[in-house]
Amino acid sequence: MTFKRLAISFSILIFLLYAGLILSLFYFYKGPLFLETLCSARTLFSLRLSLIAATSATAISVFFAIPAAYALSRYKFFGREAIDTILELPMIVSPVALGALILIFFNTPVGSFVQQNGIQVVFTVYGILLAQFVTTVGIATRLIKAAMDEIPARYEDAAKTLGASPAKAFLTVTLPLSRRGIIAASILTWAKALGEFGATITVAGSMAMKTETLPVAIFMRLASADIEGTAVLVLILIGIGLGLLYGVRMFTQRQSYV
Amino acid sequence: MPRIELKNITKHILNDLSLTIEDKEVVALVGPNGAGKSTVLNVIAGLIGYKGEVSFDGKKMDRIPPHRRGIGYLFQDLALFPHLTVAANIAYGLKVQGYDSTVIATRVEELTKALHIERLKERYPQNLSGGEKQRVAIARAIAPFQKVLLLDEPTASLDAQTAKYLRVELGTLLRRLEITVVFVIHDLLGAEEIADRIAIIHQGRIEQAASPETIFFHPGTEVVSEFIGRPNILNCDQCRVLASGLVEITSGDMRMVLPYEGDMIGKIAISPHDIYVSTTKPPGPTLNRYQGVVTEIVRHRSVVRVRISMGKTSLVAELSKGIFDEMDIAEGREIFVVVKLRRLRYVESA
Repeated sequence: MTFKRLAISFSILIFLLYAGLILSLFYFYKGPLFLETLCSARTLFSLRLSLIAATSATAISVFFAIPAAYALSRYKFFGREAIDTILELPMIVSPVALGALILIFFNTPVGSFVQQNGIQVVFTVYGILLAQFVTTVGIATRLIKAAMDEIPARYEDAAKTLGASPAKAFLTVTLPLSRRGIIAASILTWAKALGEFGATITVAGSMAMKTETLPVAIFMRLASADIEGTAVLVLILIGIGLGLLYGVRMFTQRQSYV
Repeated sequence: MPRIELKNITKHILNDLSLTIEDKEVVALVGPNGAGKSTVLNVIAGLIGYKGEVSFDGKKMDRIPPHRRGIGYLFQDLALFPHLTVAANIAYGLKVQGYDSTVIATRVEELTKALHIERLKERYPQNLSGGEKQRVAIARAIAPFQKVLLLDEPTASLDAQTAKYLRVELGTLLRRLEITVVFVIHDLLGAEEIADRIAIIHQGRIEQAASPETIFFHPGTEVVSEFIGRPNILNCDQCRVLASGLVEITSGDMRMVLPYEGDMIGKIAISPHDIYVSTTKPPGPTLNRYQGVVTEIVRHRSVVRVRISMGKTSLVAELSKGIFDEMDIAEGREIFVVVKLRRLRYVESA
């Protein structure tokens, strides 16, 4: 077996693993039940909530991540290494633990003050946004930083010598050149946010028609031993999630400049 | 266009470096790798921090950021923006500085014509050859009417023929622009073709900054002399015009017939590696061929320098070690000398 074939075999094995798990859903698939569950008000609410929350959390994460990633990529400043390290927090700490951290914060005097005088976060939709933001912003920053590290700082030097201020050099040179990396980071961040469960259920709870996202709804169905219902919701989540991801990938590949 | 002064600059290898570039002067920075040539350019552009002082027309620039220094910079790796077309690259500086779109279009048209890249306007840098990229980078650097132009090895990545052609064009263009120019080049011959003055930089210090003529005929230090190849300097005792473009000179016991268009020659500089030696008499005419005696042999790492005495005149020839060993040359041995006429340097008599 050639090396090429061996490498391809491994990628096929991974595909078969995931495909196998997805196919097993169809063991519990019942056509009428699928349609009934898909069209139910509760499912449609969860789906809508998941999509809106994931998209909003991604937008906020990327908004913070872009300048943060640029600073970490280009500048040397006090605390840079500490910041770079703490970005790994969502990866080393489980989402439930992150959710617990958020909950604990809102039980401190500062957190209580925010809830009483600002926005009510715990057990609300804002809790979902916060949970998803906290779990994804570190990853988004890390991914966008990696993309910006690939852009030689020399391009910005060239822009500066042509009269561009540092901000203009960033906006007109670095940002366009790291566009593909930012899009890739956004896609992964959105996928992570869409599937986020642990922090979401800890902070926002699982109130139907209020804070029940699709992953939370899946857990609630499973907890009540409703395997058929669980399979339907998992199929919906996979179908919409993978479908959108694939569509965005195809779109961005066509858009890339020469 | 400003007069640039660098005073006591210290950064990386640069060690208390001082240099003045006059208004509209073209100065070449020449030196070995790692001497600090590119660092000097980065200091002038304000792209790196440094100790010391940089001023333009007496005004201190140390706290002025790069985008407000009015500098055009041609980077060694060109740094063309890959996401912009050739036209957009050239227009970039004008656009960020807020020039009118008509001015931008006119300027882009003018520069693409001057550098013969009109047909490349809609291409992206990835689809250009090395020479084309160099021209686009030059156009981009000079487009925004900058006061100072810095060029880092403008012909480094090109083949010899393209480099020579571009140097000629660049020389013409720079003279037409009438701006202050500092450029880095490792090739002394290339520097001579374009520069008003050459600054030899060695281990972060300026060894000598003078006209090419002064550098070759009056090297200020041992380092400069070594860098320019320790040329043989011959004083011309007599100079006679034989015909249009042909002169005969006498230096000591040597008589030479040379192609020369100017007035009387005062001195000639002959590089040691432009002197051919032979242990047997070379065939052909005897014009510009001499016989002498080897008086000194000095071995270096990869070359051997041989001093040959021809009566009152002596010349130093440089041979590779391999060729020297093959030729069986020894002190006191008779030897034949042929001078390569193509790369002689002359200074006219006062």
